[in-house]
Amino acid sequence: MVSVKFLERPKLKFWEKIFFLDFVNGLKVTFKNLLRKTVTTKYPYEKLTPPKRFRGVHAHRVKDGQEPPSFAVLGKFMEINYNESRCVACYMCQQACPMPTLFKIEAIQLPNGKKRVTRFEMNLLNCLYCGLCVDACPVDCLIMTDIYESASYERKNCVIHMEDMSDRGRDFDRRRKQEKDRIWIDDEERNKLWGQIKWI
Amino acid sequence: MEILGTVIGVVVKSLIFIVGMFLAAAYLTLIERKFAGHVQQRPGPLHVGFHGLLQPIADALKVLTKEDIVPANVDRVLFYLASLLAFVPAIMILAVIPFGEPFTLFGVEIKPYITDLHVGLILALAFGSISIYGVIFAGWASNSKYPMIGGLRKAAVLIGYEVALGFAMVGPLMMAGSFSLREIVEAQEGFFGSFIWYQPIAFIVILFAILAETGRTPFDVQEAEAELVSGYNTEYSGMKFGLFPLAEWYIGTFALSAIAVILFFGGWKGPEIFGFLSPFIWFFLKVFMMFMFFLWVHWTLPRYRVDQITEIAWKVMLPLSLLNIFITAIIIMIKG
Repeated sequence: MVSVKFLERPKLKFWEKIFFLDFVNGLKVTFKNLLRKTVTTKYPYEKLTPPKRFRGVHAHRVKDGQEPPSFAVLGKFMEINYNESRCVACYMCQQACPMPTLFKIEAIQLPNGKKRVTRFEMNLLNCLYCGLCVDACPVDCLIMTDIYESASYERKNCVIHMEDMSDRGRDFDRRRKQEKDRIWIDDEERNKLWGQIKWI
Repeated sequence: MEILGTVIGVVVKSLIFIVGMFLAAAYLTLIERKFAGHVQQRPGPLHVGFHGLLQPIADALKVLTKEDIVPANVDRVLFYLASLLAFVPAIMILAVIPFGEPFTLFGVEIKPYITDLHVGLILALAFGSISIYGVIFAGWASNSKYPMIGGLRKAAVLIGYEVALGFAMVGPLMMAGSFSLREIVEAQEGFFGSFIWYQPIAFIVILFAILAETGRTPFDVQEAEAELVSGYNTEYSGMKFGLFPLAEWYIGTFALSAIAVILFFGGWKGPEIFGFLSPFIWFFLKVFMMFMFFLWVHWTLPRYRVDQITEIAWKVMLPLSLLNIFITAIIIMIKG
């Protein structure tokens, strides 16, 4: 049961009333802030790099010899060239997605009996960047990058395709594959900005 | 011929004052935005010119070229009149404000004020009161609820503080024995002759009154963004919109700061260390300090409720100013 606790407004002392001491305290605070350094980023000219785990625009990892063991099994049935998206068209991402029509995945059977992914499209206008598709991917193919500027002048430009996704994945892995994950409780950059945050 | 010369002189001086005030107000907006930014630990305008120095010009161009939308159901005459009525009286106060002593330049005696009326202060007060109509007309003519509420709130606040302001000004007037702003300045001799040392209560009342008159923060109920979209100027757009904050926040604050400086800080008086320019420099330095103080208060304090504001006006400020008159009168009687 929620109970309501009524609080009396603290009574001001006589001198506080006469000389507006709380006004003066407030003025002191603003004056201190006036002398401090600004904390803003001049956005179009300076861009912050999000942490590695940031959930930005999606990308595909490519077949580069660093696949998880599950790919060794699935990859036998796939016709995937080296340095190409390692998607196996298992539809796991589509299953996990809360938005049924966001993914458009198609695959065909080649004459030699192997499977080839012909289409992998995501309509990011419907995406809520929850990351469930990334968790669902069995071959560590679908990832989310640190790119957050996905605005566009036309709706059709907000649909991403397999080719540009693998480009983005290659770029992201080149930039940040080696980077350690930032665990934000003991992150140094964060400490510099806001000091050590106390956790109870 | 002599009349013609006077007329030309007055016209030229008025033009200089008006254009100068426009430019000054434009750059006061920049100062305010920079100050507000740094108080909130952000830099303010930064990209137009060096540290945003050309920002006021860009803003003026933008406001002037914007489409001027007049809503369909407004009272057209009052709607147009309101923005002018808010702006013109605010700038007319400058007519009686002396910026310095008369001086001779190239053999011509130049008086750095437009007129030196015997009732200058009353005229300033009267113009200040007229500018209420701008706000009330804007609220009424907009035919919309938020402007209406904003205009009425401003009227309630202003009526209360006009009275307190008028009575608070009586203290310095009694000490100076004149309504002419120039003579009030001349009555304050030296550092300890400034009336701030003799009239601290009146000064505090006038500080509050100026904050209320110009609608700066602790008393900005007329355009409380959280409650009334933008208060009485919600329906305005383009330059008609631009005139309201220009008049209230910048020209109004500047003119009233100048009057406060004249009444309490000895106007243009100060050590003559800048040569023949020193009266101007001292005057503008003092006015600038006052203005910055109002900015500081504006960007620090939260907003009072309307009832609290009117309560302060009638229950605190008015008795204080009357008390101040009483004390001043007794002291003057004793001292002779």
